[in-house]
Amino acid sequence: MRSRISVLFVLVFVMSGLLTACGSPTAAPATQVPATQAPEPTDVPKPPTPAAIEIGASMPLTGKYGALGAMVKPGYEYAVADINAAGGIYVKEYDAKIPLRLTIYDDESDPTKAVSKLETLYSDQKVVAYLGGAGSDMHAATSAIAEKNGVPYCGVAFALWQIHQQGYRYLFSPFPKSPDQARDVYEILNGLPEGERPTKVAIFQEKTDWGIELGGLWKDNAATYGYEVVAYEEYAPRSEDFSGMILKAQAAGAQTLLAMPSPPDGLAMVKQMAELGWAPEFSLIIRAPENVTWGETLGTTGDYITIFPGWHNGEKFPGVAELNAAYQAQFGRPADLLTGPAYACVQIFADAIARAGTLDRAALRDAVAATDMMTVVGPVTFNADGTGNVLNPLIQWQSGKLELVWPPEQATADLLFPAPAFDKR
Amino acid sequence: MTGKRIITLVLIIAVLALLAALPAVVSRDSIINMAVLVLLYVALASSWNILGGYTGQTNLGHAAFFGLGGLTTRLLWLSAGWSLFPSLLAGAGAATTLALIIGTPAFKLKGVYFAIGTLALGQVLNVTVGDMFPMITSLPVQQLVSYQLLPRYYLFVGLAVLTVGTAYVLVNSRLGLGMMAVREEEEAAESLGVSAFRHKLLALVVSAFLAGLTGGAFAFYHVGYYPQFLFSPVWTFDALMMAYIGGTGTIIGPIIGALFFVVAKELLALRLVEIHLTVFGTLFILVVLFLPGGFVQAWASIRRALVRQLGARGVRLASRRQAS
Repeated sequence: MRSRISVLFVLVFVMSGLLTACGSPTAAPATQVPATQAPEPTDVPKPPTPAAIEIGASMPLTGKYGALGAMVKPGYEYAVADINAAGGIYVKEYDAKIPLRLTIYDDESDPTKAVSKLETLYSDQKVVAYLGGAGSDMHAATSAIAEKNGVPYCGVAFALWQIHQQGYRYLFSPFPKSPDQARDVYEILNGLPEGERPTKVAIFQEKTDWGIELGGLWKDNAATYGYEVVAYEEYAPRSEDFSGMILKAQAAGAQTLLAMPSPPDGLAMVKQMAELGWAPEFSLIIRAPENVTWGETLGTTGDYITIFPGWHNGEKFPGVAELNAAYQAQFGRPADLLTGPAYACVQIFADAIARAGTLDRAALRDAVAATDMMTVVGPVTFNADGTGNVLNPLIQWQSGKLELVWPPEQATADLLFPAPAFDKR
Repeated sequence: MTGKRIITLVLIIAVLALLAALPAVVSRDSIINMAVLVLLYVALASSWNILGGYTGQTNLGHAAFFGLGGLTTRLLWLSAGWSLFPSLLAGAGAATTLALIIGTPAFKLKGVYFAIGTLALGQVLNVTVGDMFPMITSLPVQQLVSYQLLPRYYLFVGLAVLTVGTAYVLVNSRLGLGMMAVREEEEAAESLGVSAFRHKLLALVVSAFLAGLTGGAFAFYHVGYYPQFLFSPVWTFDALMMAYIGGTGTIIGPIIGALFFVVAKELLALRLVEIHLTVFGTLFILVVLFLPGGFVQAWASIRRALVRQLGARGVRLASRRQAS
């Protein structure tokens, strides 16, 4: 009995210690740079200069999207550190350069917790801008909160176009969306000599909102670009048996596979394709092969698969080399696929704050909407629905490595086409 | 009225007054939002406790009732244009209907088999809803712009009071005594004329109704999510953990559990971003290992120990006086 009581006291002590002595509530403060006065004097009385421009992110650092969040977070942190190293952002309203302060919270891949964290960032940290996490459902919840609070929101790592069609004014995403992916795949294939094009297409559509959206667009666009959908198969997420779909596509003589499986589904799908001996000449499998474990798990079987990842560290835009160098120094590899777009979000906000000349959220929103700048993901402008006009690169697994194969002016390797049979790879 | 009852009554009135006045005292939305989550989990954990704590039936499919209530309410309120309260009632009604349908076959299972059966039910609905409703449900922009947290907060206050109040009335009634008799020894209860099946079914129906209502309130509160999210096992296991942390089979247990779970987890998440789950997990393991009856039992132990010590001191003082 005594031991239980002492444990209770220890628990209470530990809790109170943790909750009171763990430092400031800001989870990941960026490098603090003292606000520096700009050289030009002014006669107009200025409001007191804030110590920092508060921006905040709720992102999945744990849970089902934890791996994605781990790629996004460094992008935000590097960008904030780089901007602060240059003295911060000049804000005309204060006639001063002010550093950014980034607060990041873990939402555990739970939309309810994400909402709660964004409310905290809004009412406690008084953030002027939100940075998004990863995953469509997380963005659906958090972008709605941004709209409710009137805080500009920049999100990457989601291709769902539907989120942008709800009339949200504060949501921006410099990341390729389903219509880009549905158009570009046919544009790329039409870059092949006419007689060699794999015109018979099989679409394996996951029964999710993004799957329905993208699968439908692929199907609708096929005829316009001279392709024929010979097999359109639907499957539920976390399916284990894809053999029926594969055999149908094989029987229909499909030469191209278009699919968007999650990692476990994608691995099972390609393994079963190899077992059944169906090797499409061209395979675009978005999402599952983005994971580095793809190459390790599948070996040569995973080669020749192409992906639209949103960004690649081989792109030749300003700042990419420096980002890769910093990433290499910290993680021992060039920047991950989602790190660049995340970095770009901070660049966009920094540019918009400087142009707006104020930290007023509505003015900042208008400035973001008018963005026309070069970032690490290339030139960025926004459409009225908040979708970005950005590059949509195609990458391919080649000898266990991800190579950038399209567009040609950015490519680090040629597109390997047609893919040979699995036993000849 | 005994002194203990008066103190309890005063405490209840004080807590209710505090809840009513909270938005006037606290202006930060983040605090109100956290209060909403605490109240949500008080309602959910208390509703689980009616079947799991008082009747001894470990229901691992509680998310099914929460989800069905939420799904029905959201569809009727947001898509069909019903007003809120009929939608909430319809959601709770749908959850209750499911409970009535599955009750008879489910209670043919006992112990761990009942737990596994209900877990399977939750998972079946989780997958089915994911397939049937793959699109995100978000509040339209017009509603987002005029979104008010306060009405949601008071809805959850009412819901938590209703759930805890129902549990209190139920367990202090003849039915509640029957439920607890079933929990302690089903065969013995049957031999005394207490119908185990009837009491378990009643507990399940009440528990499902309240969980459905909670799910409906969540559907009114949340701005955007996949419908499948409402059926996630996390709703079951969070409720269960809160009941166990606080103390199952007690009125106050799920309340303390929800308060501890939400507030501690949230504060840790805000302060220890990278390791908050590790720290919280460790705390949870410590609680389960060393306080198996939860905080309620720990408090009872402390109180008994204090009374014993004070009693012993009194006896020593008295004997010293006698000796002198």
